[in-house]
Amino acid sequence: MIRTENLTKVYRMGEVEVQALREVNLEIQDGEFIAIIGPSGSGKSTLLNMIGCLDTPTSGAVFIDGIDTGKLSENGLAEIRREKIGFIFQQFNLVHTLNALENVALPMFFAGVKRETRLKRAEELLANVGLGNRIYHKPSEMSGGEQQRVAIARALSNDPEIVIGDEPTGNVDTKTGNTIMDILEGLNKEGRTVIVVTHDAEIAARAGRTKRMRDGRVLD
Amino acid sequence: MKDVFLLVYRNIKERKARAALTILGIMVGIGAVVALISIGFGMEESITGELVEMADVIMVTPMRMELGSIGAFGSFTDRDLEAVKRIGGVKDAVAMMGTMEEVEYRGEKFMVHVIGTDPKDVGALFGAIVKPEEGRYLKANDHKTCTIGYSIANDYFDDEIGVNDRITINGSKFRVVGVLEKQGGFRSETDSAIYITARDSVSILDNEDISTIFVRVRNIGEAEEIAAEIEKRIDDNHKLDDFTSAMTMGSAIEQMESIFGVLQAVLIAIASISLIVAAMGIMNTILMSVMERTHEIGVMKAIGAKNRNILFLFLLEAGVVSAIGGVCGCIVGVIGAHAISFGIQTLFDVEIAAIVKPEVLLGGVAVAMLVGIISGLYPARKASKMSPVEAVRYE
Ligand SMILES: Nc1ncnc2c1ncn2[C@@H]1O[C@H](COP(=O)(O)OP(=O)(O)OP(=O)(O)O)[C@@H](O)[C@H]1O
Ligand SMILES: [Mg+2]
Repeated sequence: MIRTENLTKVYRMGEVEVQALREVNLEIQDGEFIAIIGPSGSGKSTLLNMIGCLDTPTSGAVFIDGIDTGKLSENGLAEIRREKIGFIFQQFNLVHTLNALENVALPMFFAGVKRETRLKRAEELLANVGLGNRIYHKPSEMSGGEQQRVAIARALSNDPEIVIGDEPTGNVDTKTGNTIMDILEGLNKEGRTVIVVTHDAEIAARAGRTKRMRDGRVLD
Repeated sequence: MKDVFLLVYRNIKERKARAALTILGIMVGIGAVVALISIGFGMEESITGELVEMADVIMVTPMRMELGSIGAFGSFTDRDLEAVKRIGGVKDAVAMMGTMEEVEYRGEKFMVHVIGTDPKDVGALFGAIVKPEEGRYLKANDHKTCTIGYSIANDYFDDEIGVNDRITINGSKFRVVGVLEKQGGFRSETDSAIYITARDSVSILDNEDISTIFVRVRNIGEAEEIAAEIEKRIDDNHKLDDFTSAMTMGSAIEQMESIFGVLQAVLIAIASISLIVAAMGIMNTILMSVMERTHEIGVMKAIGAKNRNILFLFLLEAGVVSAIGGVCGCIVGVIGAHAISFGIQTLFDVEIAAIVKPEVLLGGVAVAMLVGIISGLYPARKASKMSPVEAVRYE
């Protein structure tokens, strides 16, 4: 279970303070499929970064399976990101010097998985997202939708309980967006918690629950 | 591990020109150091190698001008030679009466160093070291004969001089009985000298001033004491202080070694400056690499890379770049050392081999990697400490 407690994030840029998150209290149950929508600048990405252990709060706390992530060291956070969370970005963010297979195997490399094992698993994961015939392609040789599917395969490589997508369909056309949502739905059916930020109401409608954000607050 | 190398390899390949420049920097630095060290070993060996053969020799020369003979060094007398011979522990002593004389051969004239010696003493002293290439050495009852150095025979005059040819020294004809082997290096003086008997030197050239006395001792361990005794006896003969300088070859070797040691240290220090420049090059390369890959670092952290994973990645990049530079530097250094050796040979006619020791090559690569990794440390740490969100946002 994921729980935020008065989660607050303030960005200070010289004199100016931006309240990106204001005392957000949110509970996400294991195996839930939740969509977060809201206008630009409302704090969606900031919230996902906190939950995904990419960033630390100004005040308040994030609990993942009862662990207060604010009390973890940088290494501890890296371990949570590696073992429990799969992050999917709007910009795909693949390592451009590596091919699809190597990209998917990379998190397993950091986790110390044996080479043969991780390459075999990476191949399976790519086959699962329909890219079995693209494994040696570099990101620059693939379409946006294909790159995003590689990114999803990469997010799944360490078999995480939680999959987080920050506008995973934001840079692809509607049809590809639906394919990606199909995959995420499938992951949810396997029992994973899926959290997706989107602008698209239709896509949000496919989630089990939708939360709205405005001005750094989660609305009821 | 294979994959990290792959990643590093692709990162380097992506910025070929920049990596090549960095590698070049390291290569020049390491190459210079390796070449200088190899030549240094060669020098040391050629000096000590030549002098070690004469380790039991003491060279006695007048050090100070004698009163009244302004402009010329003093000289020794037969009395001095006899005094030296009487010192206990002295095996042989030979006097050399050296003057510059006009030498003529087939119409060409040159000023040449003509040395008068007692043939039997010379045989005892140098017989094993300076051998005749052609003909024979001077004999005790030779008259109006000479042996000539290799350069006199081959280089000075348009026509080569051989055994039984006649040359004119200061107006008197001398028959060549022997041509000495080429000595080169630190005995190259021998190559451009003409040797005659002491008797001829006195009677024909009217020169009985002894310019140098060579002494051979029975026991090398006593050489220093005997040298001191020689100085004292001759100084007493002339009633002068510090008139005589008696130098053992052992101390000459030490002196040469320390001079070349300093020389080598200075050269290596200069070469090291290029290593420092190279180190800054590596730091710059890795810093640029870190900046360019900020986004990628963020992504790697977001998918679970720990700080030390990132640190390792960039240190490895620095290590690989500098190891390549080090290996190239060793190759260049070996080639350079041989080129320097060849250059010295052609320019100065001194044979100094390039002595390439494997430990120097290994050390070269190790130093290159050390320099690389140390200068990569700062950028790599900077990369590893980046906040994942900030880095991912960076475009
Ligand atoms: N690193 C930062 N430094 C300063 N301000 C920031 C930073 N990151 C976010 N903000 C600010 O915090 C607020 C929330 O940003 P956030 O990215 O969470 O919005 P968002 O809901 O994801 O918007 P979008 O839909 O455009 O992606 C914005 O006002 C933004 O300008
Ligand atoms: Mg956003």
